[in-house]
Amino acid sequence: MENDTAWQNELARRARIYEDIEASGRFEGTMSALDYAAVTALTLVLVVAFWIWGA
Amino acid sequence: MTDHIANGTLTTLEAEHEEAARHRAAAERGDAPLLPSERLWGFWEFTYANSALAIATWAFLIGGAIGLFVGPKEGIAAIVIGNIVGVVLTALATTTMSGRYGVEQFIALRSQFGYNGSRVVYVLAVVVLTMGWLAVLAMMFGRSIDGLMALSAGEAANPTGIKMIIAAVGAILVTWFIVARGPTSIKFFNMVVSPALVILMVVMLYLILSHHSFGELLAMPALSPPFEDKTLNFIVAVEVNLAAGFSWWPYIGNLARLTKNERTAFWPNILGIFGAAALGEIVGLLAAVALGESDPTIWMTKIAGPVIGIIALLFVAFANMTSMANILYTSIVGLRQVGTASVRAISWGTVLFLFCLIPLGLVVVYPQMYDGFFIFLVWTSALNSALAGIGIVDYFFLRGQKLDMRSLHGPQENGPYRFWAGFNPIGLFALAVGCIVYVAVFNPQTLASLPAFKYLTASLPAFVAAGAVHYVLTRLFARGRGWGQYP
Repeated sequence: MENDTAWQNELARRARIYEDIEASGRFEGTMSALDYAAVTALTLVLVVAFWIWGA
Repeated sequence: MTDHIANGTLTTLEAEHEEAARHRAAAERGDAPLLPSERLWGFWEFTYANSALAIATWAFLIGGAIGLFVGPKEGIAAIVIGNIVGVVLTALATTTMSGRYGVEQFIALRSQFGYNGSRVVYVLAVVVLTMGWLAVLAMMFGRSIDGLMALSAGEAANPTGIKMIIAAVGAILVTWFIVARGPTSIKFFNMVVSPALVILMVVMLYLILSHHSFGELLAMPALSPPFEDKTLNFIVAVEVNLAAGFSWWPYIGNLARLTKNERTAFWPNILGIFGAAALGEIVGLLAAVALGESDPTIWMTKIAGPVIGIIALLFVAFANMTSMANILYTSIVGLRQVGTASVRAISWGTVLFLFCLIPLGLVVVYPQMYDGFFIFLVWTSALNSALAGIGIVDYFFLRGQKLDMRSLHGPQENGPYRFWAGFNPIGLFALAVGCIVYVAVFNPQTLASLPAFKYLTASLPAFVAAGAVHYVLTRLFARGRGWGQYP
């Protein structure tokens, strides 16, 4: 029971840390619009280029 | 007196350290979210780990299977197109949330399917996939040993004979023994096998190119195209590669939670998973078409001659065992995570053995599965593509990239992810719609397809249909019922 309480406290502590990070907008290294644009462009370029070359 | 206080303080500190270590170990196992300070993998560490997972013998198998449908030029195009689309969509659905919150993938899945629904998804996506791959890789091991014995004795190999079956059964039992001993032995094999497989790929590529120019290779025909329509053959090859890309869905989320942030969780998949898998498949494709044989355990002996052939086959057998140990270990760790108390009460060794029974049965009763393994792979895409569609829609468009760690890890019975008796009927219905759309567009068993398949593939319509159904029904019905804590 004591262990269970300690574990529930630990879960609450970890959740609170993420809530604080979220509330203050302190997430580091988040994917930006540029990241999403870059991965979309990379995918489209590869698909179109290899389609034209190989299909 | 001072000594007493000092000893007491020391004991308390030690107890606190021990408890902190226990909590951290539990978080690493997935019971709690890993904090940013606890996550150690940067870009290159994750790229290496991803590459080690992707560079496996199954890449040779998939490449060889592509050679059945199309020639090398179309095959390379299909490998790149299918894998990049599949890997990007899968990584978006799984690694971004794991990288942001350090959350275990199937715990995060409670927000999409409910706490019992996530268990159903685990059984469908992980257990079935892993059992199938265990059987296929064990048969590949068995064929390597059979080929090895035939090569040594100067006889013809018998790929579905009794020697193969005995070796394959032995491979599963040895894998069970290795995994039952714990993760340390698996880590040792990984450190050796991944770099050695890269060397094997380079040697094989060198041997192929020393017999044929790259131009000659590109002009070679497919081994056994199923249709007269070349575009249809090409799209089937793309579909097999989409399935290969989507097949990472059960595994990469839980690796990504060990990375430092969202970016380092996402981008290494492009280099590690896409790059490494595509390279291995291209080697398998070129070898298969150049030697007229899609089975790597046969073309390796043809290309390399008896001495290098024996070494290559021994190594492939060894590498297969490592891949089997990796996927078996990952699956059982996850099974205990999502399992009920009665599942967790079964001992580690026993649950491993019970898990191996179906692969053992497949090896003995259905050894033909190996030759049509790509059919099994494509079947898994009916599920994985729909799961990716639901994952992206739920996390990005319905939740605005926000997950509630407290509710995901707290008691579930009365929590917001209870939905209906622990199941989210909307998510599960969307999953069923995605699977039905897939099979209606393209039947993996018979290769029969609708005309739309030539333009859309089957994975992409399933991905879109599942995502769209999940989005619309959640907007219409979930919020009013208080299901799932949607904003």
